[in-house]
Amino acid sequence: MNAHPAVPFSLDHYAALHDLVRSWRNLGEIPEERLPAPADGAACARLLAAEARLLDAGRLADWLALFTADCAYWLPTDVTGEDPAKFVAWEFNDRRRLEERVERLATGRAYSQAPPTRTVHLLSGLEMLTDGPDGMQVLANFLIQTNFAGRVGQRAGWTGYLLRRQHGRWRIALKRINLFDADLPQDNNSFTL
Amino acid sequence: MTVAMARTTAGVYDRLFRPGQVHRDLYVDPQLFELEMRDLFGRTWVYVGHETEIPKPNDFVTRNLGRRPIILCRTTAGEIAVLINRCPHRGAVVCRSARGNAGGFTCGYHAWSFANDGRCAGLPLRHAYGEGFRLRDHDMARPARVASYRGFVFASMIADVPPLDEHLAGARRYIDQWLDRDDRKPVLVNNGVMRFRTHANWKTVYDNAGDGYHPPFSHESMLRVFAARYGDVDMKYFTADVDDSAMEAIDLGNGHTMLDQRPAMHAVSAWERQHVMPGREILEQRLFERFGAERGRQMLDASTGSGMNLNIFPNLLIIGNQVQRVDPLAVDETVIDWFSTSLAGAPDEINAARMRLQEDFPSFGEVDDSANFEACQAGLALVPELEWVDISRHLTTGRGRRGADGLWHEPVTSDRHMRAYFEAWKALMDAGSAARLREGGGR
Ligand code: FES
Ligand SMILES: [Fe+2]
Repeated sequence: MNAHPAVPFSLDHYAALHDLVRSWRNLGEIPEERLPAPADGAACARLLAAEARLLDAGRLADWLALFTADCAYWLPTDVTGEDPAKFVAWEFNDRRRLEERVERLATGRAYSQAPPTRTVHLLSGLEMLTDGPDGMQVLANFLIQTNFAGRVGQRAGWTGYLLRRQHGRWRIALKRINLFDADLPQDNNSFTL
Repeated sequence: MTVAMARTTAGVYDRLFRPGQVHRDLYVDPQLFELEMRDLFGRTWVYVGHETEIPKPNDFVTRNLGRRPIILCRTTAGEIAVLINRCPHRGAVVCRSARGNAGGFTCGYHAWSFANDGRCAGLPLRHAYGEGFRLRDHDMARPARVASYRGFVFASMIADVPPLDEHLAGARRYIDQWLDRDDRKPVLVNNGVMRFRTHANWKTVYDNAGDGYHPPFSHESMLRVFAARYGDVDMKYFTADVDDSAMEAIDLGNGHTMLDQRPAMHAVSAWERQHVMPGREILEQRLFERFGAERGRQMLDASTGSGMNLNIFPNLLIIGNQVQRVDPLAVDETVIDWFSTSLAGAPDEINAARMRLQEDFPSFGEVDDSANFEACQAGLALVPELEWVDISRHLTTGRGRRGADGLWHEPVTSDRHMRAYFEAWKALMDAGSAARLREGGGR
């Protein structure tokens, strides 16, 4: 995925993302040669723990700082791994649209988040695969406990991350949030999953 | 219906309406909701789906028709069919998949099986039903009428409805305009669905579909962010006094209406006034390389939001490039399905741009609409002493006019949309209760 990065959000990029998702869906046991060095695995796990903590604290500006300049935040509508060039997502945000999303929530006029949904993000079953020397793919199940204005709820599914090491630090290049019921009616998902 | 019969029930719903106001019971009374499912959704043309959702023989999707489970399918012979998804044996829901491809359906309970045109194809241990048993008496039921207008499939549970073309009235020319943009590539409704659940009455959703008053306020967060970043883009035109603009609300008859934003949005280039979306630059560049800047921009203009809010009573909303189906589940629960669309035969860049564009409003705007629907539901349900809801904008200003098209036009913030559809609501509900009285059926 990292070897010949396509221009972000070109058709080639969508094709590469589609392939990546397919590889995740077909993954069996992680091949020995793709197991990460312990130090890299620990660094990536720390990044994802910090990500969850910042989201739950509502520190979205700090959370954004964990993403690369060419990142994508992707919440598909399907549970079948469709091609993002041909299939609409709940959200498919590049860095710009992700920043706009954060800015919208900060206006004080985002009525879908008045009051903000409280969350606790739980990640479990982390699996990591190296993606070249400075890339890491991480798959994890998630459970988000929510409370929106007194209404308790949960969101569940699995997340596929693509992490990249930049100047010695791991950053999020892709976060694909696969709600297990993304194709079924969804309540207010305008908080940040 | 005979005139005498109509008189016996005329007036049962009068109490719900005053000039410029409607009663809260319309939104919160569960019994009234049940009656709507019988007398309104059961007695008019209801939007089921689009033919391009089921392109191949044996394709099907399951839906609701005013809560009745139905199957929309393309038969083995290639015909469009709508089946009531209820087993004629003991009543079980037969097909339990959301979509698929199947030559027929077999009930999970006693394995009665049906072809995908509904014909009963066989059942186990038939001898016990005796000599006179005929398979053809045990077909799956179908709505009394099914008809399409340019791919949009509608069904009616009763036969006594006007022809679909007549029912669509003034909406037909706008469906045509929505479909026939640029070089008229066929619109496909087969690119994913966002299924929004809102804890509000279905009419709150329909109210909003024709509400040209709310955008600068409900959508302030979105408009503010885009204006701060990109200047005069998107729906920024809504932040002036839009009643003095060329945008308008049009009454299309039978409860159908149209908000026309095209005079503002498509005045010069819709693509140029569309703020950036993921891939904007690279997709534009590739299109311009292949087709030249002029043709490239034409294609992009025709794939930016349509600038139309076309509302077809009671459950079809065409907004931007999306098709919405409003699905009432309970008096205070509604699912809004946003079907995305692509263009058959268009360059892949155009359809990729369409996907990203169609994600914009749902996540930046619809979420706030839905929160406001839920706030309305809460306020209406929780305060029984306060009974009335205002629908009076431009009722007394004399700004409406009959256009050269024969349709009634009002300023874009008018509540004419609500006044118009509630008139259709009342006519259908009155006719429905008269029919039940005549048939002696009661509830
Ligand atoms: S209920 Fe369907 S076969 Fe008996
Ligand atoms: Fe809105």
